[in-house]
Amino acid sequence: MSALREYLRKMRGTTKGSPPRVSNSEILWSWVGGFLGIAAIAGVGHLFFTGTDLTLMIGSFGASAVLVYGAVRSPLAQPRNLVGGHVLSALVGVTAWKLFGGDPWLAQALAVSTAIALMHATKTLHPPGGATALIAVVGSDQIHQLGYLYVLVPATLGPLVLLVVGLLVNNLAPSRRYPEVWF
Amino acid sequence: MPELDLSDDDILDAMQRIPGYLDITTSDFRELYQLAHAHALERHFRDVRAGRLMRVGIEPLRPGLRMDEAARSLARQGLKSLPVVDDQDRVVGVLTETDFLRRLNADTFLALLLRLLEDAASFGHRCHETAVGAVMSAPAVTVPVGAGFGDIVAAFARHEGRSMPVVDAEGRLRGLLLRKDFLGACGGGLPG
Repeated sequence: MSALREYLRKMRGTTKGSPPRVSNSEILWSWVGGFLGIAAIAGVGHLFFTGTDLTLMIGSFGASAVLVYGAVRSPLAQPRNLVGGHVLSALVGVTAWKLFGGDPWLAQALAVSTAIALMHATKTLHPPGGATALIAVVGSDQIHQLGYLYVLVPATLGPLVLLVVGLLVNNLAPSRRYPEVWF
Repeated sequence: MPELDLSDDDILDAMQRIPGYLDITTSDFRELYQLAHAHALERHFRDVRAGRLMRVGIEPLRPGLRMDEAARSLARQGLKSLPVVDDQDRVVGVLTETDFLRRLNADTFLALLLRLLEDAASFGHRCHETAVGAVMSAPAVTVPVGAGFGDIVAAFARHEGRSMPVVDAEGRLRGLLLRKDFLGACGGGLPG
């Protein structure tokens, strides 16, 4: 009985209030970074991959942009996590599709859960990686036809573009530095 | 060692001084801080051990000793208090200058001086006829040889004396830890 009460008590939370709102200049820098990062991916995709079967833009990069430009100091936003998280998760996602594509629910669940575990184990935890793994399973036929090429484009090239923009833009802001740690 | 109790407001105030979004909750920060603080103290005070800082070779007192002889022993060894041990060297009490004052019905040294001016004769008598065991502070607050920083601070906080007997597992006297020796050793380890 007391174990149940303790279990339910944990759901109340421990902390009053979330971290403070950031300053307006921080908001502006986050906006600029997000704009340029996603624009750069779109631009590179347009220049090099128009008319091919490859696509450079997937939804999970929007989530990466939140971290790289909105939570610059977060361990989750550092280069090792940004690139490593997407690459490893993409590997997991494509593998899950190839092995269990006949059971979509199983392939989806396995892709995300295994991606989380692998990112944990390799110290590359990057939340958008879960989306990259899931997209490999639930994505369009075009994505499925890429096979393991999906790991290179978009899952390696996309984060590299975000990383370059992060280095260039975040370090322009007087109050910011990026990265905290490379590897 | 008492933990510095950080409130959510303390942490939120600090977070506001650092630009950018900090990806951590106040409770996580507090937990991190307290663990890191304990770790730093352990590192700073690793060498602060009662057994390392104690003075050895002091001559303890016996419960049956007369007070005037005890006073001479204290004076000879240049100490403000001495452990009192039984036949097996086990610490049974501590005799301090305060115990002397109490025996002489004075609260402070100045009060004693004043009374001495009034009534010199009875003082010597009081000391000659009284045994250490009847006056000493007992039981003594002691620390084990292996006591570290936190144990020693806690033990000093439990009594008014400037020194403490250091004892082994059987309660036998191994040395005397002086407050000034302890503080001297901590001075090097204290941050800032």
